[in-house]
Amino acid sequence: MVFILGVNFPERNLVKKSLESFFGIGNNASSRLLARFHIHSTCKVGDLANKQVLDITAALSEMKIENDLRRQYLDDIKRLKETGTYRGRRHALGLPVRGQRTRTQIKTAVRLNRMERRL
Amino acid sequence: MVSSFCWSCMTRLRPTPRAVLPPPVAAPRAASFHTSTVRYALPAKKKASLDGPPKFREAKSARMKKKKPVEKSRPPSVGERKALRKRIVLSNPNALEVEGMQDLSSENMVDARLRGSVLGLPVPMLTQLRAVEAFKPKQGWSIFRRPGTVVRRETLELGRFIDGISNEGKDKGRSAKKIVTGVRGSGKTVHLLQAMAMAFTKQWVVFTVPEPQDLVIAHTSYAPLSDDTPHLYVQNDATAAMLSRTVTANEQVLKNLHISQQHPALKSSAKAGMTLEELAKLGIQDPAIAWPVFQALWSELTATSPAPGFDKGFKPRPPMLVTVDGLSHWMKNSEYRSADFDPIHAHDLMFVRHFLSLLKPGSEKPALPNGGLLLYATSASNNPTIYSFEVALKQIAARQAGLNASAPEFPQADPYSKADKRVIDAFDSAKPTIAKEGILELQTLGGLTRDEARGFMEYFARSGLLREKINDAWVGEKWSLAGGGVIGELEKLGRRLRVVN
Repeated sequence: MVFILGVNFPERNLVKKSLESFFGIGNNASSRLLARFHIHSTCKVGDLANKQVLDITAALSEMKIENDLRRQYLDDIKRLKETGTYRGRRHALGLPVRGQRTRTQIKTAVRLNRMERRL
Repeated sequence: MVSSFCWSCMTRLRPTPRAVLPPPVAAPRAASFHTSTVRYALPAKKKASLDGPPKFREAKSARMKKKKPVEKSRPPSVGERKALRKRIVLSNPNALEVEGMQDLSSENMVDARLRGSVLGLPVPMLTQLRAVEAFKPKQGWSIFRRPGTVVRRETLELGRFIDGISNEGKDKGRSAKKIVTGVRGSGKTVHLLQAMAMAFTKQWVVFTVPEPQDLVIAHTSYAPLSDDTPHLYVQNDATAAMLSRTVTANEQVLKNLHISQQHPALKSSAKAGMTLEELAKLGIQDPAIAWPVFQALWSELTATSPAPGFDKGFKPRPPMLVTVDGLSHWMKNSEYRSADFDPIHAHDLMFVRHFLSLLKPGSEKPALPNGGLLLYATSASNNPTIYSFEVALKQIAARQAGLNASAPEFPQADPYSKADKRVIDAFDSAKPTIAKEGILELQTLGGLTRDEARGFMEYFARSGLLREKINDAWVGEKWSLAGGGVIGELEKLGRRLRVVN
């Protein structure tokens, strides 16, 4: 088991996949991180050198991921609501924000957009 | 169910007068003895069946029984499936032993009388050949009693060349560089295998890269070479794997050679008096220093004389055979990325760069100063299309034919095709200045001749795989079917089972 940014990953997991388990890191960000520390894309967590683990953790702690990113996300929505924009209103009403039709197929908006938005 | 009651018999009966019949009883007859309880009992509830009309908000569709989940057995353990996929079977106990089949030896590898016959690979050598991964899983070794290869024209030439370098004579210390091409199934990989087998019989040192693709698909670790050269990369695990192949296969030779110079890159770990086997094992044990160890091993094997202070027990180094099977993967960007997320060209990987630099003529001493052979094969089945590599191969052929690079008919890359200049430069070697070093050549393997094809098919027949009368007409037919004796196609025809009446 290897700790990366406080999370324990089993050694057989791919490094790339493990990085992508953090909120805010997708394919692009994880590929770039791997390239930055010269880790090949099929590397397993167990094969990482100690220094590489520390490097990755240091790089991750500088990035805006996980709760910081979630907070920013919610703040942005909150700002829209408070300034009374159309988008903010749609967020509060539980309706699609970006001009989709609302006759059918708005499940995602119903599920997510509400007054107390959660991520 | 059809009732056993016959209605036609029924109609013939006279209807009994109603009054005679006892009054019909509503209660079931089965319980005739105790009638009262049955009479007072509540009417039996209708069985809940699906037959009735659907009730309000109740689905009336056929209810399928859910399949029970099949109990899954445990998945195969890590590496088991790959081991099965890469398994190499070299023997088939059901095949007949071919009587009178000779083994490859240093005497008969130059024997022109054996042309067209199949020479067995000596059994003790098989471990060495396995170690350098000379056999590939998809080859048909598993249908014969024991592995053997057919002696064709190119094999004899190779044998003569290897024999000439190894023996005392005017050819001693010569080196040749060849790129082996040919259509699919023309025997390029087996040609390399034959070269390895001959080199092992002559006590050469053999370096192989059986899968060049593995070095560029980002499946093995990489790291920058040093802080001064951030654009060059070493692959320590791949280098350690190559050292391990080399040590296993050439143990006997490397055991008898000792260190003959200082290796500042290895600091204290390389001690004077160490054998080269021990030196190479340093890199296997600690992959972090695999690349400096490989460089040290290479400089030891290419040494022509000992450095001052290391004179004691210096033995002349044996010739070397270097094979690479599937060159074109090295001619494009690798899947690795630099720290800035730019793709890394395969030529920036030190491993690849080293083996490609051997193609260039040496400036002071030849690339292989103790003689030897570079055999780099292309692949026709697993082959990325790289325009600049195709042009480079044409240029090699033209240079070999004596064309000057400035001649108008010298093949040049189309200026609009964005040819990779690095690839063309890698093969753009001037004529070597040192007499013993050969020019880079292109060797194209074609089909077997009819005589060789006949010998090959007879081998199938004598192994009990082919039940045919092998005569010239039959062989001629198969030779034509095989695209003019392409040996891979001949093998397919030979192993195909046929019912004989």
